[in-house]
Amino acid sequence: MAQSENCPNCGAEVIFRSPALPARICDYCHATVKRIAEGVELAGEVAVLPFDVSPIQIGTRGEYGSQTFDVIGRIRLGYDQGAWNDWLCLFSDMTHGWLSESDGQFQMVIERPIAETNSDLIQHLAQGGETMIGDRTQIDGSEFTVSDMRSAKCIAAEGELPFAPFTGWNVFNVDMRDDQGFSANFEREEGEDPAFYVGRYVTLAELKPQNLRAIHGWKMPDYAA
Amino acid sequence: MPPEPPSADDRPNPWGSAPADAAPGPTATRTVVPSESDSAPAAEQFNCPNCGGSIEIKAAGTSVSIACQYCGSTLDVTNPDVSIIQRYEGEVRKLELPLGSRGVLRGTEWEVIGYQRRSENGQYPWDEYLLFNPYEGYRFLDTDGRGWSLGQQLTATPENQAMVGFTVNGEFYEPFYAQTRAQVDYVLGEFYWRVAVGEEVLTADFVRPGKMLSWEHSANETVWSLSELLEPNEITDAFGIPPAKGGGLPLPHQPSPYRQKAGKFMKFALAVGLALLVITFMFGGTSDPQTAQVNLATNGVEQSAKVGPIILDRSRQAVTVSARAPGLENSWIDLTYTLTNRETGEVFEANNVVDAYSGQDSEGSWSEGSRYSSSKFSMIPAGTYELNVYAAGNRWTEGQYGSSPSAQVEVTIEKGATFYSNLFLALLLVFVPAIWQWWKHLSFESRRKSDSDFAGDDDDD
Repeated sequence: MAQSENCPNCGAEVIFRSPALPARICDYCHATVKRIAEGVELAGEVAVLPFDVSPIQIGTRGEYGSQTFDVIGRIRLGYDQGAWNDWLCLFSDMTHGWLSESDGQFQMVIERPIAETNSDLIQHLAQGGETMIGDRTQIDGSEFTVSDMRSAKCIAAEGELPFAPFTGWNVFNVDMRDDQGFSANFEREEGEDPAFYVGRYVTLAELKPQNLRAIHGWKMPDYAA
Repeated sequence: MPPEPPSADDRPNPWGSAPADAAPGPTATRTVVPSESDSAPAAEQFNCPNCGGSIEIKAAGTSVSIACQYCGSTLDVTNPDVSIIQRYEGEVRKLELPLGSRGVLRGTEWEVIGYQRRSENGQYPWDEYLLFNPYEGYRFLDTDGRGWSLGQQLTATPENQAMVGFTVNGEFYEPFYAQTRAQVDYVLGEFYWRVAVGEEVLTADFVRPGKMLSWEHSANETVWSLSELLEPNEITDAFGIPPAKGGGLPLPHQPSPYRQKAGKFMKFALAVGLALLVITFMFGGTSDPQTAQVNLATNGVEQSAKVGPIILDRSRQAVTVSARAPGLENSWIDLTYTLTNRETGEVFEANNVVDAYSGQDSEGSWSEGSRYSSSKFSMIPAGTYELNVYAAGNRWTEGQYGSSPSAQVEVTIEKGATFYSNLFLALLLVFVPAIWQWWKHLSFESRRKSDSDFAGDDDDD
């Protein structure tokens, strides 16, 4: 049930594919367009995405668990030690998850209400607390270790998103992992409620991807051909 | 492209160092290298802000720092403008695998994009190449001159097994190198982290045959990676360079080249040994015994007796003649056997002895000799035979105990024989190579482990 609107900034057509996601970046003018009851409104602007060689693009499809997904949005975040992409995946049941791409490694995570976790660490972080690399916590009966944390800023975004980012938007991010390849993230985004995500590390191959980005001089892998 | 002269902006700063938040010198703008096909572009290009050399960023989006391949200066590529982090004064090294080389390893094409020379405080140096493929991410290609290993950063923390080692994917890794400091001595190319010469991390290594699990720890993070030893031809097939020279001790994760052979040889030896035993006891063994008793005085006078006839029906066979003198004391009996074919008169002869001596000396009582002996005739043609036994008894007069004045010897002739000495030789022949291979395997393992910090803890070498 796609919804078609006109960009309040440039007038170009803006299509919302998901039924519920509130924001979309205009493909032409990079304005952040927000859905409201009466249609759409302008909610800021993001920079043009800097060039990168990610194999994922808007329109990449794949399989995760028993569902298929379409990549419909991305936010690119950067800090002094690098940058990463969080790709928004719309699942066949219209829920969404994030395919996070960092240093050539991927993890698929799905948001879980913070109230539903009994991890002390997550509760502590949700209340504005701090943590350290190496801290441990129990999530779903497994022991997770804080492997990375950083304050990052939104560099750019594209497509549909569950929030309305703008360039320079601050995000505090904590990565946790266990010994089985499961991962968890805690995020505190500027102007948003803290969010908690749980999932696991994946390889591109196991997502059985279609419509990966073709990159000049590189052979499309057999699993995506 | 040859290095270009430093730009005019590269002047000494007479006012001291610039404030930390200001760009520390000239910067360069990056541009996307246009794709020559319908595909998306694969690289960005800029001119080194220090030397002007043309540099391509192959992992645009993830690369954080670049050491210029022409002048060696370290550059920051996290911002749209490329800036200099540190200028390099030394000579730029020529790499065994030049940056930009591509090769297929284990089914995936990789491009060499970075190089680090690392060491433990200048000791035990090794080369670490960073490989990139936009669909597969990164790999590490390591060598210390003895072989090449292909490594990958792990996404799951290995499971600690009761402090003795770690498990990854159900495979156990035993400790090899204890925690030590590793430093970066030289860098070239692009990296997804901030590279800096002199940067130190703590490392420890765990091994199993063919694989190494490495732990690296810095203030910022803990990284586990798993590498697999490549076959010498794999590096040649991929990049066209000669295989590592090898020499010296085996690599920590080098599988013993003798283990498989030793196992095979041992299996073969056991199978053949078992077959030999079965054959020996199936086709060996004796039958149809006939016995004669000879009574004699131990005075040197020869007595004779006849045993038989015995009928041998196979064209060739063995015959066993055994002698037993249970009551013999401090005496010996010389025995001569002649086996005569009644039809042809052909004679086969054998000599043997039964003896028994005992006494007492400073160390106590002793006894020697054997009251039993057996002689084997092999390849006796078919026919009817008669055995003549000539026995001569003698007393040994130096014994403190009495010697038998007379003796009784029981001589038995039987068809067939069990040639234990042949069996023993055959077993030796098949087991020696197996044992030799095992010995070589064990000595390889002990040389391999001699470099380990945990060499003494292991009881299986």
